[in-house]
Parts: sequence; structure tokens; C-alpha cells
Amino acid sequence: MKGIRGISQLSERFYAAARSGQSLVQPMAVHKLSTRAAHSYQDVHVTRLPSGLVIASLENYSPASKIGVFVKAGCRYETPDNQGVTHLLRLASSLTTKGASAFKICRGIEAVGGSLSVTSTRENMIYSVDCLRDDIDTVMEFLINVTTAPEFRPWEVSDLTARVKMDKAQAAQSAQTDVVEGLHAAAYKNALCNSLYCPDHMVGNIQSDHLHQFVQNNFTSARMALVGLGVDHTVLKQVGEQFLNIRSGAGATGAKAQYRGGEIRLPTTSSLVHSVVVTEAAPADTLAFSVLQHLLGGGPYVKRGSNTSSKLFQGASKATADPFDVSAFNVGYSDSGLFGFYTISQAAVAGDVIRAALAEVKAVANGEVTAADLTRAKAQLQSQVLMSQETSEGMLEAIGTQALAEGSYHTTEEISKNIDNVSLTDVANAAKKFVSGKKTMASSGNLIKTPFVDEI
Amino acid sequence: MMSIAARNGVLSSYLQATKHAVKNLGFGAKDVLTKSMLSIFFPGPAGIRLAHTDVRIPDFSDYRRTDVIDPNKSSQDSSEGRRVFSYLVTGATTVVGVYAAKTVVTQFVSSMSASADVLALSKIEIKLSDIPEGKNMTFKWRGKPLFVRHRTEKEISAEADVNIAELRDPQHDKDRVINPSWVIVLGVCTHLGCVPIANAGDFGGYYCPCHGSHYDASGRIRKGPAPLNLEVPYYEFPDDETVVVG
Repeated sequence: MKGIRGISQLSERFYAAARSGQSLVQPMAVHKLSTRAAHSYQDVHVTRLPSGLVIASLENYSPASKIGVFVKAGCRYETPDNQGVTHLLRLASSLTTKGASAFKICRGIEAVGGSLSVTSTRENMIYSVDCLRDDIDTVMEFLINVTTAPEFRPWEVSDLTARVKMDKAQAAQSAQTDVVEGLHAAAYKNALCNSLYCPDHMVGNIQSDHLHQFVQNNFTSARMALVGLGVDHTVLKQVGEQFLNIRSGAGATGAKAQYRGGEIRLPTTSSLVHSVVVTEAAPADTLAFSVLQHLLGGGPYVKRGSNTSSKLFQGASKATADPFDVSAFNVGYSDSGLFGFYTISQAAVAGDVIRAALAEVKAVANGEVTAADLTRAKAQLQSQVLMSQETSEGMLEAIGTQALAEGSYHTTEEISKNIDNVSLTDVANAAKKFVSGKKTMASSGNLIKTPFVDEI
Repeated sequence: MMSIAARNGVLSSYLQATKHAVKNLGFGAKDVLTKSMLSIFFPGPAGIRLAHTDVRIPDFSDYRRTDVIDPNKSSQDSSEGRRVFSYLVTGATTVVGVYAAKTVVTQFVSSMSASADVLALSKIEIKLSDIPEGKNMTFKWRGKPLFVRHRTEKEISAEADVNIAELRDPQHDKDRVINPSWVIVLGVCTHLGCVPIANAGDFGGYYCPCHGSHYDASGRIRKGPAPLNLEVPYYEFPDDETVVVG
């Protein structure tokens, strides 16, 4: 009868009480773990196949799964005769493949409520799909098709020209994009100077052959990583072994990025001047530069707040009363990096703001940093790392970039420890490197009062 | 080694370019245009919002009620008037429409009733001056013979004096005629439907030759197998000279 049945289930119903003392992130004691599960539930599993492909997965028990294919095929691997091919490749992700037509890809993914997107950075190309857990097979098929068996039909590729133009127009709407692209073009002689967007002279001149060649040279197993969130590791390994072993070898190696330190000025009619001043930052000093970035001020933490923790902001606020923004700029690649500061100011006071920001960095280089500031900066960096992994997109990117670059995954505890080990001298040395290094500058806006790089 | 977002902070969205091949807005669209400063630290699902400020809506003021054209005036003052007008127009149209519908339907339905030629045959108009006294004339009416008899005085009084109790179908003469000098009956024998012969038989009326039924001058059955008197149709005298039967 109902009453008696209810009583016998009491022990299961009071599971909160039964869990006394047991961590809530571990499964209940009544559920026995399979002996083959060598790792615990929440670890990131990373395997490197003999072909060089890296498989990484994390079981996050989410009802939605995310799978990404990370390829070392960013725009740094473009050659001078196929500049802009990565932009086309990004747009060509929805075109016909050998196993599925463009229509089938779109309808098939839509039918399960998933989404397919491509993100390209200067180093990597990231193809990611997300869907509900049960529909992984369907979207995986499309993902494999798109990454390994594209057809790049000539008429479909030529139809993308309009999209390229629209992409460029949309990107040109924000001054930040122009400045960042200009900065890279001015700072490097090769590889990293290539733009994420197709240059004007190549719009309409990228053909299907360019795309095929680029894929042949760069989409090899040794340069790819298959990452999944909410996917079983064995399933992912099977897929990697069966389908992603198409091209072996390391492919074309990219040239080492050569920093040259230049200047680029983009005059526009805007009354706001966007300006960025950087020097080269070696990858070995990444952590020190990241701590320095937060020490100086890495952006607003409180909406419409007064940015009291940002040294750059406080310094620049003494130089002008008009609206402005200044934050530290830090970007790192596998063999190089850029560190500096980014300012947005009114045209008349641009020079003052830039010089004030530089003065702040010089102060840090001279050691005028308190221990409290350092702990604050470290805490801010740690929280940013952790918060960026709160979303599935951030998590996928974190796992994927690490798997691709190093073939392993550093847990957040390791990273937190490394951050803690950064000392005041490391930070001061990093600041000194910036102050004394060869600077690159990129500015856009009404540049009447903006100094040249040798004048600041 | 940290992810792009962790390393680059606020400008991370400008260091990568994303293209959504198939986009499910529920999963969030991470584009430069939608990323705000705060979303990097508190990311959540966001869609691309586009503001179409170039859409021109045409001016419809020619077709609008004068009461509500001014956007600064409250429309409550004119609402009752507008409502009454609208309802009146609707009501009147409904009434007219119902009437029209009823007319159309009755016209269609009545087209299935008897046609004019059939109706025309249903009445007969007889000029009485053509029939002399003592004579019986036969007309075709509704497919049946119609007897119109101009009775003499002797016949009238004889029929009126008949004892009703002796009759098979008792009916007094005055119940069978409007004007006693004219008797109008259907010339169909009530036995089996033959046409009786006028001015024949033992009773001075009609005699049916088929089975020998004798009728008197009022059309009542007197002798023979017929059970009922000759049928008297509806008739009226619009004036002294004519009778309209049916």
C-alpha cells in the first residue's frame, strides 16, 4: 500500500541527510564507480593519438554538449599570395562538403536545434558545434564533413565575395578592430602581421584552389585537436581515430614571427582617438605580463564605477576631465606577444592621456607598487581566468587552446598556483621591458594632437 | 597557458573573428557587435540586435478619422462618438443584409413552387349569361369535368323539400349552394370516378352510366353504388354575371 511503500523509500528520500559530510560534487556512495573509470568525474581527459591528433574532453553533465575542432590554421599561416584565405575559409564553413550539401548541413543542424560556428584567431581556427546531448552523432557528422571533406565548389566560393565585403564593412564599424588590425600589421614583418579580414586587393580574388591548398597544407592531424564538453571520451577518441586521420604530417610550418616595431596612423573624422602603444612580450613572461596588465588596469569591474583600482585610469584622469578610457593591452601568441596600453580619448587631449598612461607604467617599472596592489592584481587575474571558464564557450576555448598548443591541460589550481608565484620583481621587470623596448603604435581618429611613437 | 578571453581581457573580442554558419540564438552569439564590456565578466546568452532606423512608414492621414489624427489629444473624448457611428453603420448594414438575404432565398425557394401556367389553370372564370335555365354546362377544370347547372324554380323547390334522413350522404341543398339557382359540382362520380351524364336518371339530376348511380339536381346521391354526394368546389360570385371557381 502507498503508506508502507512510502516508508520504505524514506531512506532514499532523505538524501541530503544521507550525504552528511560527503562532498556534493562527488556521486553518492550507493552508486558504484566502474573500475574502468580511472579518472574521477570532473577531470579533463586528454589523449594524444599516434597521428598527432589531440583529443580532450570534459564530462560536465550538462544537457547540452559542445564539440570543437581546433586547427593551427590561423591567419598567421597565410602566404603573401593567398592573403585573406582564412576569412574565406571562415565563411566557407557552411558550403557543400563531400558528405552533405550546404542545405543539408543547415537543415540537419537546425533540425536538432544545434548551431555551428567558426572562430578564427591569428593562430587557430576553431570549428564548434553545440547541440543537445542526444544529438551528438548528427552534428558530429556535419562537423567532420566541414573540417575534413569540404568541396569548395567554385561558384559557391565566388558567391561569398558579397559576404566578405559585408564582414569587412561590419568590422570597420568599430574603431577597435581597425586599430588592433593596424597594430599587428605595423608590429610584425610576417606571419602575425596578417589581418583576420581579407585585404581589399584580395576581395574577389581568392579562388577555390587557394582554399583547397590552404586546407591541404594546414589541416593535418598533427595540427588539430578535437575537444568535447559533455561528451564521452571514448566516443570522441573513436571519432578522432576513424575520421580525423585524413592527412598526416606536420603540414607547412609557419614562419617565426619577426617583430619590427612600427607605427600606423589611421585618420578619420571621429572625435574620439583610439590609440595603442605596445612592445614585444616574450611568451616566457606571459604570467608576469598578465599580472602587470591587471595591476595597471584591465578594464572596468564595476559598471559605471570609478575604476579606483586601475592605475592607468587614475593617472589619466589627472590629465583630462573629458570622458576617456584606458586599459592595459596584452596579447600572446605561441612565439611572441604584445603588451602595452590602449587609450580612447578626446582628440584634443589624446597626447596628454597617452603620456599620463606611460608615466604610470614607468612608475611601476621603478618599483612604486605596494604588496596590496600586487595581491589585488593577482586576485583579479585569477578571477578572470576562473570566470572565463564559467561558460561552456570559455571552457571549450580554454581546453582547446591548451590541447592544441601543448597537448595537455593545466587545471585551474595549477594556474592559480603559478599566478601566486609571480613576485613584485617579475612584474617590475616586465614593466621595465615595456618602457625600454621598441614600441609600436597604432592610432585612429582625429590625429591632430596625437603624438608619434618617437614623441611620447 | 590561458585561453584568449582570460589573457586579453576587454579586447579579446577584437582579436578573433567569428562566423556563425548555423546559429541557435539560445546558445548566444559572440560577435564584436554584441559584446559589451560587462558580458566578458558575466557572460550570458545574447542575440544580435539590429535597429532598422531607415524604414519609412507612409502617411495614412488621408484615411484616418479626423478625431484621432492629432497624437497629442486623448482619443477617449471621441471614443463614444466613434463607437456609436461604427455600431450604427454595422447595425444598419446587417439589417439590410439580412433583408437582402431573405429576399434572395425566398426567390430561389419559391422558384421551385408551381409555375404560372399551372397556377393559371387552377381557377376558372365562367360567364353565367351563356348558360340558359335548365341547362348543364361542362368545363374542364384542374383536369376534371366541372358541371355548372342553371336550375329552374321547380328544381330548386323540389331539392329543398327533400327529407335529409332518407339520403345516403345527408346534406341540405342550401349547404351545397351559395346561389340556389346555380349548382356547381365536380363531374366525377364518387363511386369509381366516371363522368355522370347530365339531365338523366330517375331524380332529374345526373346518372352515372358505369354502375348506375343516380344523383339529383343538387348533385346528391340517391340511388346506386356511389357513397358520397358530388363534390362541391370552392367558388365565388365576384358579380352577378360571373363565377370564379377555385
